Amino acid sequence: MVVDELDALRDKFEGCAALAFADLSTKMILVTDSGSNLRREALDALCAEAAFLLGANGTPALAEQPSDKASVTSPSQMRVFLRAEQEPNDVLCCICNSKLDADAFVADAGACLDRISGSE
Amino acid sequence: MSEEDALAQKLAALIASVEIDDSGARVISVDGEPAPITAILREVDDTVLERCLAFDCGDTTITVVAAGRRLRGIVNVTPQNDAEIIGQVISREEPEGVQAAFDLLQSLCADADKMTVRSLPSEPFGKGGERGISAKGLTELWGVTMDIIPKPPMDKFLSANAATFLSVLHVREGKVVSTSGDVKPLQQIWKSQVDDFRKAHAKMVRGEERAQFVCLESAFDDGTSAALALYENEIALVAYQGENFGKMQSSWQRIFN
Repeated sequence: MVVDELDALRDKFEGCAALAFADLSTKMILVTDSGSNLRREALDALCAEAAFLLGANGTPALAEQPSDKASVTSPSQMRVFLRAEQEPNDVLCCICNSKLDADAFVADAGACLDRISGSE
Repeated sequence: MSEEDALAQKLAALIASVEIDDSGARVISVDGEPAPITAILREVDDTVLERCLAFDCGDTTITVVAAGRRLRGIVNVTPQNDAEIIGQVISREEPEGVQAAFDLLQSLCADADKMTVRSLPSEPFGKGGERGISAKGLTELWGVTMDIIPKPPMDKFLSANAATFLSVLHVREGKVVSTSGDVKPLQQIWKSQVDDFRKAHAKMVRGEERAQFVCLESAFDDGTSAALALYENEIALVAYQGENFGKMQSSWQRIFN
């Protein structure tokens, strides 16, 4: 179950506040972790940000080519967006607090996304 | 010390946030900001009653005795060090000893990523009349400036990560203030993409944060990554290797949180 994968990832990282699995082709959030209480508008904004930063329409947000991993860090929050290796429209959107071990989280989040994407 | 200097120093101390690490020690230098030797002298300068100050950097602990805003000497170093100056009171009358103390401190901590201090009860050291040398006096003898004005956060971030960045374009109030590395691709982004990016992104997230760090992995054709750091009226465009993502994030969080 996708939600179980998301819950397991969230439980592993104390600094992880919300996770959402999205489809960039429809620009829709498909599943969130079970503890997430984000409103519809917030989920739509999160998905739009993922599409923009990862260059969903083939146009890079910045520089020369679309990325498979993007992040936005502010003093209070870090949002991470990851694209699945096998299915480029499958994306994991993550909202974390800024005290997270970024490398460890991104590695686990990438593996989680690939499991979810591969099991669809 | 002039009244102006003293006031500037007090203001700097008030501005600086106090960070305590997991061991309960106070963090006084991170990523060379300020230089560890400067951080040591600041602590000495803040010490009026006689105390032992234990400075930790990595696996090394340097314990000194300070009193009356003067450094009396280095009491102990762990792991064990055979430098002769350890255990000696420093004095202007013995310039070789003063230099030896500086050389020892520099060899132990000049490259420290992080330095902390603990203030401990004093222990017997030297003779009563041997007062050591004032922190201010040591800045002159050692040729160390008391860096009392903290660097602006963006400057701090860029200098702390200089070795990590492949190239940097730093813009303040619309004007390029510094560059390093191959900045041609960054100049291209600055000219043709940054404004549109900021407008589009701000619309999505309902306004731009005062401090924001955006990373886009493998955004350049050669596989290197791009980052955009924003802080008030400053922008830094950076090219970096993807494996440095976590290191940059930690540094950003330390400086801007």
